[in-house]
Formats: sequence, C-alpha cells, structure tokens
Amino acid sequence: MRHKVLVVYPHKCTGCRICEQWCAQAHHGEMNPAKARLAVHRIHDRQINVPVACSQCVQAPCIEVCPAECIGRDEETFGLTLNAEECLGCRMCVDRCVRGAIKMDADAETPLLCDLCGGDPQCVKHCPEGAIDYVPFDRADRGFREHHAQRLADEQGGVR
Amino acid sequence: MSNVVGLTGRMLRVDLSSGEVKAVATPRDRFERFLGARGVGASMLFDELEPHTDPLSPANKLIFLTGPLVGTMAPGANKVTVSFRSPLTETYSFSLCGGHLAPEIKFAGFDGLVIEGRSDRPVYLSIDNGKATLRDAAHLWGKLTHDTEDALRAELGDPELRVAAIGPAGERQVRYACIQADYHREFGRGGGGAVMGSKNLKAIAARGTGSVEVADAAALAEIAEQVYAELAEHPKARLRRRFGTAEMVEGTNHFGYWATRNFTTGHFEEADRLTGPALKEKLFIGDNSCYACPVACGKVSPVRRGPFEGQTIEGPEFETVGLLGANCGVSDPDAIVAATAICDAYGFDTMSAGATISLAMEAYEQGILGPEDTGGVDLRFGNGEALVAVAQQIGERRGLGDVLAEGSRRAAERFGVPDLAMQVKGQEMATYEPRGVVGMGLSYAISPKGGHHMIAPTMGLETAGDPARRLIPDGKAKMVRDTQLIMTIVDSLAMCSSMRFVLGLESMLRLYRAVTGIALGEEEALRIAERVDNLERLFNLREGLTRAHDTLPRRLLQEAMPSGSSQGNTVPLDTMLDEYYRLMGWDSHGVPTPERMQELGLTREWEAAREAWGGGGT
Repeated sequence: MRHKVLVVYPHKCTGCRICEQWCAQAHHGEMNPAKARLAVHRIHDRQINVPVACSQCVQAPCIEVCPAECIGRDEETFGLTLNAEECLGCRMCVDRCVRGAIKMDADAETPLLCDLCGGDPQCVKHCPEGAIDYVPFDRADRGFREHHAQRLADEQGGVR
Repeated sequence: MSNVVGLTGRMLRVDLSSGEVKAVATPRDRFERFLGARGVGASMLFDELEPHTDPLSPANKLIFLTGPLVGTMAPGANKVTVSFRSPLTETYSFSLCGGHLAPEIKFAGFDGLVIEGRSDRPVYLSIDNGKATLRDAAHLWGKLTHDTEDALRAELGDPELRVAAIGPAGERQVRYACIQADYHREFGRGGGGAVMGSKNLKAIAARGTGSVEVADAAALAEIAEQVYAELAEHPKARLRRRFGTAEMVEGTNHFGYWATRNFTTGHFEEADRLTGPALKEKLFIGDNSCYACPVACGKVSPVRRGPFEGQTIEGPEFETVGLLGANCGVSDPDAIVAATAICDAYGFDTMSAGATISLAMEAYEQGILGPEDTGGVDLRFGNGEALVAVAQQIGERRGLGDVLAEGSRRAAERFGVPDLAMQVKGQEMATYEPRGVVGMGLSYAISPKGGHHMIAPTMGLETAGDPARRLIPDGKAKMVRDTQLIMTIVDSLAMCSSMRFVLGLESMLRLYRAVTGIALGEEEALRIAERVDNLERLFNLREGLTRAHDTLPRRLLQEAMPSGSSQGNTVPLDTMLDEYYRLMGWDSHGVPTPERMQELGLTREWEAAREAWGGGGT
C-alpha cells in the first residue's frame, strides 16, 4: 500500500475549525462549514475536540454498501469520487462509515465525500496544530504509537 | 446605498411580551455609519431605548449583533456583541462572546437579534435555518448553564446546536450575571444575564447550514494565510498559544500593577504559583479555540475541588486568575478553578465576582463583617475554601451572597464602606492596578461601560520601551484615545482583540474590503470609531453622566502604592482627563461639543441627549 491517507490526532486539535472552512471553500467556493467533508466535533462536557474525517479505508464500506454503485475512488490518490447523478440520497454510506465521517449536503441531497483535494488536502495544509496529517499508509500508525508511548512515559515520570 | 456583502440582510425582532417573532431587514445604513457589532448595537440601543429605562424592566433591550466578517474565514472574526443598559452600572453597556455561537447565528441566516419586552413565563428562542420560534422553558428554569445546553441539544435533536443561556444567577438577577455559551464562553460583563433573566428568557439556541457571502474569496483566503503565518511567528501570540492569557501574570506582577487583595497593592508575593508556565505545568490539560482562530488561547483545566469536582472547564483566563486569585489573595490554582466552575455553571462574571468577594474579604479583615454575616465562613484574604464557599452563595443568592450579588458598589454601601468598592460607575475594574500603570486608570475612568479594561488596553504600550513611563501621565491621554479608536474598530468588526497583535488597521481594512467589497480608508474607519465612541458617550450623557462620574476609587487617587515595583505612586487622573477631553473635542466637564458632534454626524443624537440631560452635573 503506497497511497497516502488522512490521519487525525484529537489530542492536538483545538477546535478552531479552520479545516472545515478551507474544505468548504476548496470544494464549493463558499464560507460554510456545513459543506465541509470533515468536521470537528466538540465533546463539551470534557472540552475535547475530535476531528472526524475520512480515513480512506482499504475496503471502504461506503463504496461497498452503495446500492447505486455511485461511489468510487480515484486510482491515483485513493480519494473518493461520487457520481452525483446516480446517487439516491439514501444515506447508506453515512450509516456504514466506520468513522462517522460522511456528512450530507443538505442542498444537493448527496453525501459530501473526501476527494483528498486531488492529493493536496486543504485541511492538512491549513491546520495550525498538525492535528490532521496526510501520510503514506505504511506510516499512518506511527504518530499514534509515538503519542501513546509518550503518554506512558509521562505517567511513569522519571522511573525506569 | 452600497451593498455590504457579508451580511445576511435579515435580523430577528423578538417581542417577548406579545410572543411575536419576526424577521426584519438588517439596517444596512447603520452598518455603513457604525461598521457592525458594537457600533451598530450602540446606535440601535440609543435610538430604541427611552432615557432612564429601568435596566431590569421590560423596556430594556438585548441587542445581539454580528458583522459582515463573522462566519467567514477572516481569522478571529468570531464575536457576537450584546448591547443593553446595564443593571450593574445603569450606563450603556455591551459585552462580547467568542466561541462558536456568532458564526452559527450567521449560518442560520441572521445578522443579529433584538430581544424586547418580557415574557410572562420562562421561554427560550430556537433559531433554525431562517426560522425562529419561542418555546416553553419551564422545564429548563433553574438549570445550570451547561445542563441547559445539554438539555436543548437533546430536545432539539442536534448535537451541534449552539446555545447561549443564563443560569440560576441570571434567573435571580445577580447584577453581574452573564450569558453563557459553549459551556465556558460568555457575554461576561455588565449583567446581560440579569437582563435576560428579567425577561424570562432562559436561552437562545441556534443552528444553521447556510453560507456567508463574500465579495472576494480569493483575496480573503490570501489574507487569512498571511495572518496564520504571522500569528505562528508572533512572540505574543505564541505565548498565548502555550499559556493562554495567563501569560500576562509575570509581567503584570513584575511591574507592580497586578491588583492584589482588593487593590490594596499591585504586587502579589505568591504570584509564582499562578504564572502561565506554573499553570501549564500544574493545571492545564488541553487547548481550545474559538471559530476561525489559530491562536487557541483557551486552556482546559480539571476541577479538583468544590461542587463541580471531576468536571473540566475552559479557563481560567488571566482576568479570572487575577480577580478570583491575586485580588482575593488566593494563590491556589485549584481554588480559583473551583470558583470559576461555580461562576460558569451558575452564570455570573468571574471578574465582578472576584472584585466583590475581595471587598467582602477586606471588610471581614477590618471587622466590619464577622462570621455571623458570612454563614460561618472565615472570609480572610487568601482563604481559597472561603472563596469557593462565597462564590456558591452568590450563585444561589444565599446569605451574604445575596448582598454580594448586587455588585461591589451596592454591597459596599450596605456595609457602610463605599470607598472599598473597586469599581468605576459600578463596574468592577479589571486586574490592572492603575497606580502601577496610570493610563489604565484613565482608561477605566472614561470607559462608557464602567471600569472595563478592553475599551483602551494600554498596559502593553505603557510598559514597552522605558517601563518607568507607565507611572507618569505624559502622553497617556493620546495613548488611551488612539487605543480606544482601534479597539472600537476591532469590536465593531466582531473580531477578537488578540488579532490586533498582528492585524494593524490596514490589514483589518483589507479583510473588511475582501468580505464587504467596500474600500474603507483608514481615516474614514477612525472617524466611524470616533462616532461610535461619542455615541456611547451621548447615551451616558442622556442619563446624566459627566466628568464627576469619570473617576476612580479614592484609594487609587490618594493613597500611595504600598509595595512592589510601582511603590509610592498614585493615579494623576485629573491631568490625564483634561488632556483626554481636549483630544476628544469635549468641554472640560467631559461633555461633547455641538461642533464636534456635527462633524461626526451626530447632531440629532446630541440634541436628544442634551434635552434629556438638561445640563446638570457640571
């Protein structure tokens, strides 16, 4: 697997939603986070911000479940594509997405699918915190490993 | 008339007395004359309120306003203002709220809303994509602010709903009750929450999926990228990113202007426990941003004590650390957080609360109050447990808390020690002790909403270069006036004040042009700001306020600072006031002159103010 994927780090996200703004702007030319292909969800009672974005599943449930077979992927980037004319607006893809990352465009009545901006994802480019990254699949696990190892080290303090 | 792109073109007018909710056209001409948010709010409030309106009567209004930049990618343009006559000061007042509420109001299709009248039973306003309805809130009355948010998200079936709500403090009309949003953001100052409570309006819930139109998206994107890059490199913004606004603790204390123990001095011996780095190490566990802001000055802290132990809050920010901390002599971060959590949950201002509790602490130490008055609480300076206990009394208006809920001015009169209230026009001052930074003394004195720090925050300028200059009046009137004009523009564009580190006036106007399509020159922008500032002045003149009200607590004018690096200083207020009035084109009583009002296009407002005022007080 040599394609690149999006990786999100909730522990780095501050909830500014700049990613949403640039995503909507890139795809629709609009100032409207409801049109973004990702969203930052804030868990208010714990003040935690969770970026929810497409992870480019290898076996993508959205593609497999679509009864109209209108979701595909770009061979080069692995980003999702949509044949909007065939779309039923049934939201099966929304239901099945393992990350809850598919939003519906309320105007077009079709899903908002991440196309990775053709290989230059605007969310990644503009995140001020590095909370969303775009890395080769074979390195997509490393940031988490580092984070959790660091946390373990912090918990243990100076003890070896 | 030109079109101001960026506005939705619609506002809501909500008459709580009749229950009528209607969408009306946004007064675009006011957005041209007064820019937006704070400026437009001042203009509408002046025109819509009768002189001497009782702040807690149905005749008072809450005028919420955004501006053209809100909801776009303009960095930091995430504020919504509320304008009202304050029950704390009985002056003009406004307050701003960041977080994510303001853009949601725009996405829902509205530039702002006017709330008037009084409902005969608790209600809340639901705004949903261009529609708005009043709904019964009997089941929400009595709920804490965050519980109200949760209940509305569940009830309206939208986990992404944005809510502005009052808590029990607003319902009970604590005079400095705030309107809380996103759990820990608020319209903090002046008692907007008490006004909302007096109207039986529990909450405003907004959701929207619409777009905000902009004139030149490419230009806007380019400026935004430039601002992100500048903020990422700017030393002050970097400090805020790491430590929040608490980054200011060290400098403020070092230069001897950190209000300590009810402004008895400007130096807190235990400040080391409350510096940005100390809080980052011992307290902060996360970072929060408002919409479209890359600074993320919001810090997340665990509550380790008090009634909300086990929860987390966003905060405490610098003013809270100062007024609930140093100003109460408390250096234990956990006590400050516990008190902050109470303020946020019950919905009242941490700043006024801190400065009112510190008054009670001083009265207690002087023997004016005893344990029989405090419900047995040992209300000494430095007692963190007492701080937490009394904060809760205020939220519940119980015992001493019922008196302190009236604010420091009224409470001090009740205790028979009016000079111990650290307030201007009834509004408790912020945490900059003006004997150690005298321009802030002028700033508090002339502020149209009482002792507030963000009308003209000059402390940074006053300590830059030769820090000794902070102690002398020279040049301070001009510094206050220049800062005031810029802040009026920042507030009227509904931008966060932190943006001004990298966004000068020219950049702000480039942003304004990209969004609105209007090429506003610097001179004209400053003229609008001056028009807003004068209109705010006229509102207060109409209520009879003149020079006599532009003053400071006697302690700051007459008693030398007893310790710290500003030791020996007082505030030479009169010298600065004379110069400031001259620069503003006002007479020696602080009354705007008809000539200047004509130049600013405020003749009608001037005549109305003069008629109601009648010339007294000079």
